[in-house]
Amino acid sequence: MAEVTNKLKQLTVADPLGRTPDPWADFREIELIALEWSQTYRHSLGKYSRFFLELENGRFLATRCPTCQKVWSPPRPLCPDDLTITVWTELSGRGQVVSFSVLHYAPAMLAFLERPYVLAYVKLAGADTLFAHLLQNYGDVSKVHYGLPVQVVYNEGPVDHPIMLMAFEPRL
Amino acid sequence: MPERNVVVVGGGLTKFAAERVDASVRDLVVEAVLLAVEDAGVDLRQVEHGLTSYESDHFNRQMTLGAILHDHLGLVPKPNLRVEGGGATGALALRTAYAYLKSGLCDSIIVYGGETNGKSVTSATAQQLFALSSDADWEMMVGGTYTAYYAAMIREHMRLYGTTERQFAHIAVKNRGNARYNPIAQKPMTLTIDDVLNSAPVAEPYKLLDCSLLSDGAAAVILATEAWAAGHSTQWGERPVVHFRATGCGTDTMRLGDRPFPYPGLAHFRGKREAARQAYKMAGLTDPFRQIDVAELYDSYSGVELQAYEDLGFCEYGQAGPLAESGRFDLGGELPVNPSGGLLGRGAPVGATGLAQAIEIMLQLRGEANPRRQVPQARRGLTDTHAGTGTHCVVNIFERRD
Repeated sequence: MAEVTNKLKQLTVADPLGRTPDPWADFREIELIALEWSQTYRHSLGKYSRFFLELENGRFLATRCPTCQKVWSPPRPLCPDDLTITVWTELSGRGQVVSFSVLHYAPAMLAFLERPYVLAYVKLAGADTLFAHLLQNYGDVSKVHYGLPVQVVYNEGPVDHPIMLMAFEPRL
Repeated sequence: MPERNVVVVGGGLTKFAAERVDASVRDLVVEAVLLAVEDAGVDLRQVEHGLTSYESDHFNRQMTLGAILHDHLGLVPKPNLRVEGGGATGALALRTAYAYLKSGLCDSIIVYGGETNGKSVTSATAQQLFALSSDADWEMMVGGTYTAYYAAMIREHMRLYGTTERQFAHIAVKNRGNARYNPIAQKPMTLTIDDVLNSAPVAEPYKLLDCSLLSDGAAAVILATEAWAAGHSTQWGERPVVHFRATGCGTDTMRLGDRPFPYPGLAHFRGKREAARQAYKMAGLTDPFRQIDVAELYDSYSGVELQAYEDLGFCEYGQAGPLAESGRFDLGGELPVNPSGGLLGRGAPVGATGLAQAIEIMLQLRGEANPRRQVPQARRGLTDTHAGTGTHCVVNIFERRD
């Protein structure tokens, strides 16, 4: 008997639409197999790199449009409102929660996160947009609300993506 | 030159299910196409153009799926293209077909698509793959999932207008209830509001029964000019004609947090409002709530349907919750929404979703839906579909002509 190492199942199925006669009667013997594939990307952070590199130094950068003065956080190298190339500017990292969700499931790449965890949209002082990141050390979830003062906190890693060098915490 | 009216000649849908272990994605699309051809009463060999509607190369584990499908349907060497617009893929494919027909590039076109989102990968991987369709460096890598983004949106709607969890639970009860009358639906359920409120939290305030389904399935729609349909469909003159009357498309920033306040802020779908504005203008509609008889909306989460009522102009901002509770959008209400069961009840194999919405409207306008979900005297129907968090929106309008 030949062996297929990744065969999951072999079965006979019925017509899901329950037709008689079944137009696919000759094709109801089914084999199910497992396929695996993983890959590592060489991923340039490009013109956003300085933001990530400064997180290693505990500094939080945004970009300002020299034409409209709008401050983008997350940064944008090009202001889409004016098509002007922006300049880096440093923010204090203090802000307020605008909205949030309490997640009980994590996507596969972030399976290491302790659950539940809070994803917060934060309006940082000096920025014109909202920055989404994890809210840590919030204590009881009922204490998280619109307007909650928070600040960026940094860690020493190790992390695999530099965005995880930061998170938000309630500001006391 | 006579006006090139675009008509829906026919459509076909497979059974939607959490797992179609009996079929690969190409099998599913073949099934849907055979059903569409039968419904349309045309010879597939006469159809001039193919159009492939699918979102993800990852779920199907196949790039250029369009080439395979086109081949296996016997459509080579005819022209083909693939259209992708995230969750809006199917509706965007139909909008593209409309342009091809209007422009004279062809007189007939078959739009087919499907997806195996059900169990081809684990649920955590599925969340991961969908999260890749948000901003992967800035939203996904901090633990974002679509459920969480939508949760942040509805939380803001709750803050601004006092919308309640009970109000959006009503949508989950309604749509899964409607699915009971749709034989291809994945998840017909008889639910109470409390069932929804007591289901497991996923990304609060959304709970399991507020979330749409991961599905395997396929759909196909044959569109043509009125003149082509009259000359090629054995059904011509046998039943009401469904016209593809208008289409609109709008967009918004990829990241929720980049949207301006106060509008759309986090609570509203700006791209949807823009898509609807264009479609209403094209169809000559001034009072959509009264002028539309039946609608299929993109209920990826229960609260999203409430938010859509407002941006589509079905009601004032902040009124969606109480009006939904009043039954206005139920079967038997003034404007039934998602009689098919929607993404919550019928299911959502992404590339087929927008096509399935159009097929439901086609059946409704012909008066051929199951009597338990048929909207009486439906003459004008709307579909609303979006990608991302309303990042790419398409509204299509169909009308019955006797």
